[in-house]
Amino acid sequence: MTTENVTARLVAERIEIAPGETLDLALVFEIRPGWHTYWRNPGDSGDPPRIDWTLPEGVEAGPLRWPRPELIPVGPLANYGYSERAVHLIALSVPADWPIGEPVRIRADVDWLVCEEHCVPESGRLDLTLATVAVTRAATGAAVGPGPIDPAQAEVFAAARAGLPQGRIEGAVLGAAGERLGLVVPAQELPETIEGVWFFAGAWGLIEHAAAQPWRKVGNVLRIDLSPGAAVEQAAPEGLLVVADARGEVHSYEVAAVRGPLAEDTARDRPIGLPLAFLFAFLGGLILNLMPCVFPILAMKALNLINGLSGQSPDAARDRAVHGVAYTAGVLLFFTGLAALLLALRAGGAAVGWGFQLQYPPFVVFMAYVFFVIGLSLSGAVTIGARLMSLGGAKTGSGTAGAFGTGALAALVAAPCTAPFMGAALGYAVTLSWPLALAIMLTLGFGLALPFLVLSLVPRLARLLPRPGAWMETLKQALAFPMFAAAAWLVWVLSVQTGSGGVALVLGGLVLLAFGLWLRERSRSLPSARRRWAVAATSASLVGALYLGLETDRLASATLSESEQSASGLASEPYSPERLATARDARRPVFVNMTAAWCITCLVNERVALSAVEVAQRFADAGVLYLKGDWTNRDPAITAYLADHGRNGVPLYVFYPPDGDPQVLPQILTEDMVLRAIGSSAPGSSGRDG
Amino acid sequence: MKHAFPKTLAVGAVTFAAALSFSVAAAAPKVGAPAPDFSVVDTAGETWTLGGLAGKKVVLEWTNHDCPYVVKHYASGNMQALQKEATDAGYVWLSVISSASGKQGHVSPAQADDLSDDRGAAPTAVLLDTSGAMGRAYDAKTTPHLYVIDPEGTLVYMGGIDDKPTTDQADIPGATNYVRLAMADLAAGNPVATPVTRPYGCSVKY
Repeated sequence: MTTENVTARLVAERIEIAPGETLDLALVFEIRPGWHTYWRNPGDSGDPPRIDWTLPEGVEAGPLRWPRPELIPVGPLANYGYSERAVHLIALSVPADWPIGEPVRIRADVDWLVCEEHCVPESGRLDLTLATVAVTRAATGAAVGPGPIDPAQAEVFAAARAGLPQGRIEGAVLGAAGERLGLVVPAQELPETIEGVWFFAGAWGLIEHAAAQPWRKVGNVLRIDLSPGAAVEQAAPEGLLVVADARGEVHSYEVAAVRGPLAEDTARDRPIGLPLAFLFAFLGGLILNLMPCVFPILAMKALNLINGLSGQSPDAARDRAVHGVAYTAGVLLFFTGLAALLLALRAGGAAVGWGFQLQYPPFVVFMAYVFFVIGLSLSGAVTIGARLMSLGGAKTGSGTAGAFGTGALAALVAAPCTAPFMGAALGYAVTLSWPLALAIMLTLGFGLALPFLVLSLVPRLARLLPRPGAWMETLKQALAFPMFAAAAWLVWVLSVQTGSGGVALVLGGLVLLAFGLWLRERSRSLPSARRRWAVAATSASLVGALYLGLETDRLASATLSESEQSASGLASEPYSPERLATARDARRPVFVNMTAAWCITCLVNERVALSAVEVAQRFADAGVLYLKGDWTNRDPAITAYLADHGRNGVPLYVFYPPDGDPQVLPQILTEDMVLRAIGSSAPGSSGRDG
Repeated sequence: MKHAFPKTLAVGAVTFAAALSFSVAAAAPKVGAPAPDFSVVDTAGETWTLGGLAGKKVVLEWTNHDCPYVVKHYASGNMQALQKEATDAGYVWLSVISSASGKQGHVSPAQADDLSDDRGAAPTAVLLDTSGAMGRAYDAKTTPHLYVIDPEGTLVYMGGIDDKPTTDQADIPGATNYVRLAMADLAAGNPVATPVTRPYGCSVKY
């Protein structure tokens, strides 16, 4: 039976059946390329096939059996279904008193929906006739039943059986985890090493089908984070767990969970208390002022303050105060936005952390452009924005809007420099209700804004600043170099994320950007008719630069290159929850280092504390397994690991002694700290009090 | 004086970050909570917002005239009857087309009006949500997908039109129409007994 999009047939495993016997029929859909039929829960749209039997009296057909589906993303939605070929097995039984020789005539009226972008309901009538013969048993005793088996048919049936769930896992628990759902599945029957996991909900309403499903395996438990669906309370907590193992083989299991509290969650200790979180957030914000990526901007800001707002008059004092408040407002607005984004992502189920915007290569490119242009402007190579200046409010020299923008920019670039204290505060914040989380974020922002605010509010401090003069132009030009350095650093970050292809794109973009700005500069004095061409060319170069930046997204590579790994001096293996679990089971000490190319603190720590010869020697002596997790690009396993330690950003260093509890090391490492951590647990070391 | 341009760039950077966040910030609509606001033009070019409908009862119907599930309810006259019933009872009925340009179901305003005329449809207006912003705000998944909003702007029903997820018109007489039940509950001053059901049909072509 062939329709426009599907060829459907009904076949029996054998052409003969004995009275009292049960054999499998297969409903086979050969599906037009690019089109799909659906699983028992079709997902966000679609419809599973239905079969209406017409059978002789006494003959019975069982339900359609469903091979494991694939996830079919459709824009923001997701469906569960099959492409190319779907085979549904059905058990058919013939009563024991069926007269031998009397054929069994079967008719099936089948309805199915087949969709590509759009959907076509199709249907067909399928007929099948089986001969009946007396039972014959093979000499081996195996109940093979009568009749020959068609080899081509046998293959279809074998493949169909391979696609069915291979078992049922008992003891799974589904419970609330904040605003999300956690599914905890005993992992004893699962493959030892798991590469991929997907949970297909058995019924509509249990989960958001399209939402990400971060998972982690800890010991003998697999935990999957799910996004609750529209009818999460009413839907049966069951479905199909599909797991890919290290060899790429796919396994599927039926899971019927019970609802209950998640043991892991109640046991999860809150690393720091609320007052401490506020204090750390505030201190973290203060320290951010000293970060290499923020300091130049602050310096530039202070320069402006001296430049445009000097003087003792009440007017100047008021302007300074307005400036400081605008700057603070800019910082706080940015942090509000960031908190909203983090909380929205948390609600939406994405696994994110501090600095996550730098995991998006075009963002890195864009920031490199910003620093490059600021640098060009500071060095005097281009003078831009004479007309735009009025938008910033000329009265105070750079304007309230300008101060506001600077505040936001300072906060934006501060993001990747996870200062000590801040990771813990943020990690804690995302576990809280949104008003508290927002309060923590704002405290952090206030810490960042405070030094400049104080400077602008207390005239006595402002008077301590040097007098304006020619030195300012020199300082201004000199400040271009931290900007160029920041741009160079971002290009390096991009090289790690995207390889040399991304570097080529961003360098091309920088050339286009410089060319466009130069052309703009040169064309200023041209007659207006000719200037129009120059403006068009300028715009084209700027658009070209943006396009090249966006292109880098396609080049994002997942892991640190080999040379990058060996540069740290210590032989490491990439982190995976499984590798950690295996080593722990084998009572091997493990040192876990969660890092990212854009994390300055991480790189400093690696150079200072983890590259020393003595550290390498001690690692070797104690047989420490050094696991390095690279968070430069998104990695749900690492995000989950950080979350487990109450963190939302890198660096994170954890040492697992052969026995006893893991020890979290500070975010600023010294060689001594590492040696002491390892020494305190090394076999044969004296005492555990170090 | 020369720093104004970098500052506008800085503001640009923040806008860029905000744009990134905007694309993921939508939270799923919840029954019992305020319905998401929207601002979409209809076939006559008028802009409709939920705020502008304060005090009115509203039905939102996601549709795509080429989807076989939608065809089932229009070819049988079922959807038109429900529209008339609702508008007679004082509802504002908005049919929403979220098909993106070039995707199935995308129509020009004139085509949409012709479709309404040809089918004898009786919505208050047909909204053209080509960007999909309204559809995403409501998490509209299928055509048809129906939402009922009470006069206070609270979402009281979301889901399928009825309980027979098929394309067969013969299933309509025996089906339980959830939208009709929700309207009856609302008219009687009762909470909606079945506030969330599985929407069925074709995927919305965002």
